[in-house]
Amino acid sequence: MGIDKVEPSDAELVRRVRTGDIGAYGALVSRYRDRLGRYAVHMIGDHEDAEEALQDSFVRAYRSLARCYDPARFGAWLYGILVNRCRTTGARAARRRRMFVHDADALNGATHADQADRVEWTDTVDRALARLAPEYREAFLLKHVEDLEYVQIAELTGAGISALKMRVKRAREQLQQYLREAEHV
Amino acid sequence: MFEREDDVVERVIQQLRRPVTIDPGLDARVMREIADAPRAKPRVWPLWSLLATAAVLGTLLITHPWTRADQSGPAAFQFVFVAPQAASVSLVGDFNDWDPNRSPMQTAQGVWATVVNLTPGRYRYAFLVNGVEWRADPGAPSAKDDEFGTPSSVVTVGGSGS
Amino acid sequence: MIIVALVLAAQVAVQDPRFERLDPDTRLAVVAMIDSARGDGLPVEPLIQRALEGATKGAAGARIVAAVRRLTVDLGTARTALGTNASGPELEAGVAALRAGATPQILTRLRTVRRPPLTMALSVVADLVASGVPADSAAAAVLALAPKARDADLVEFRRAVERDIALGAPPGAATSVRLNAGASDVYSQGAGPGAPQPRAHRP
Repeated sequence: MGIDKVEPSDAELVRRVRTGDIGAYGALVSRYRDRLGRYAVHMIGDHEDAEEALQDSFVRAYRSLARCYDPARFGAWLYGILVNRCRTTGARAARRRRMFVHDADALNGATHADQADRVEWTDTVDRALARLAPEYREAFLLKHVEDLEYVQIAELTGAGISALKMRVKRAREQLQQYLREAEHV
Repeated sequence: MFEREDDVVERVIQQLRRPVTIDPGLDARVMREIADAPRAKPRVWPLWSLLATAAVLGTLLITHPWTRADQSGPAAFQFVFVAPQAASVSLVGDFNDWDPNRSPMQTAQGVWATVVNLTPGRYRYAFLVNGVEWRADPGAPSAKDDEFGTPSSVVTVGGSGS
Repeated sequence: MIIVALVLAAQVAVQDPRFERLDPDTRLAVVAMIDSARGDGLPVEPLIQRALEGATKGAAGARIVAAVRRLTVDLGTARTALGTNASGPELEAGVAALRAGATPQILTRLRTVRRPPLTMALSVVADLVASGVPADSAAAAVLALAPKARDADLVEFRRAVERDIALGAPPGAATSVRLNAGASDVYSQGAGPGAPQPRAHRP
């Protein structure tokens, strides 16, 4: 109802931030937090660490905004910052990975069969994803969950396109294997 | 129950594409961090200097700002906030429609102050620093039921009214 | 039915320019809730302020709506406990006390031992809990002082407890020390602190 307000473009918001309108950066944060947050959570495997990485990335992007040479592609540029930041955290989190939040009690207490199934499936997927090597997981998430083109992923990660395709293929194979194993437990 | 392998991966992908909840407070934390100029002092001022300032101010205050009892009709309350590095500070709360333009504060040597007339009631409020950073009043009771991810304080005015 | 609600909402929205700070969808939902609350005899200014707070802080519409809804429910609970004669400020302070952990029974008891307005007494309960005092200790302390203490005395009590806590006293013990030290005559005359109340279940 009413007239839809036209949202300012990324380029417009970046322009405003550069002229001193800090508040405009808030709009950019709003715009990208959920999508980037999803990648960070799946990549890092720990919600708190992921939010920290996300927050850091936003701050870093703001502070180096002068180096965003194509403001219309702010989102992709921001992704690159996040992908790199997640690599650092990944190394830390791997050592103290807090996974498998769903314990048996949670499943036993589920009043709904569907809900128990949902929890179990989520858990299975999280475990399988966590077992992937980081570069496989990264490529898989960027390609299949975040829907980026190989050209874009190559830009973000610095890897060659054929190497990336191989990583995604390996990731798929390993996921199939882990899930088959999970079924037989 | 033989599932084609591609289908399994597809199900994984569908699961991973589901939205993930990110703490709504993250936005405010980001904005707080970037609002701090690199050269600014750290956000926590040494307690002794705050107390010293408060002691000095105590002699200047019209009244205890955070609670005033046995009152009828509006009474003047002075709100004070120490922020030497701030470019602007506004008092924002239940008594001024949370409008940052209604009670801008004036500064002298890093101490920001303003006076507001309050009728009896319990009011939540906070200071808005540089238009982006929400700060509670260090000397006032904190408002624990804070639903928007930012800190607030409470001032209660006693007496009959409303 | 929806059309009536829309028309009403539009009217209120036109009347109060403050609502322009909300986006249209949020405004509709909030105005509808406020009209309903007004119809139930609840004070609406606290609801308006909560919505405006969310607007100023750039909160998502859904969050604003949820906050207003929660406050409406809590105001209703406070009014049940404090009675229909309770003023707006009393109800707001009552909500604060409830959210801090006081049970509706405590609010009702306060009403029986103290002349209105109860705003300050309820507020002090909430403020004590905010300083770290367990809810039942805070409630018991205020109930003990409530029959005789003026509002100013309650404020002083709260400040004294906060000072003690700041100086290192365990919050649970701070209230009883203060009660014994400064209000022994009140303590013995008024109703003594009752047994700790079980925590109320809130939606």
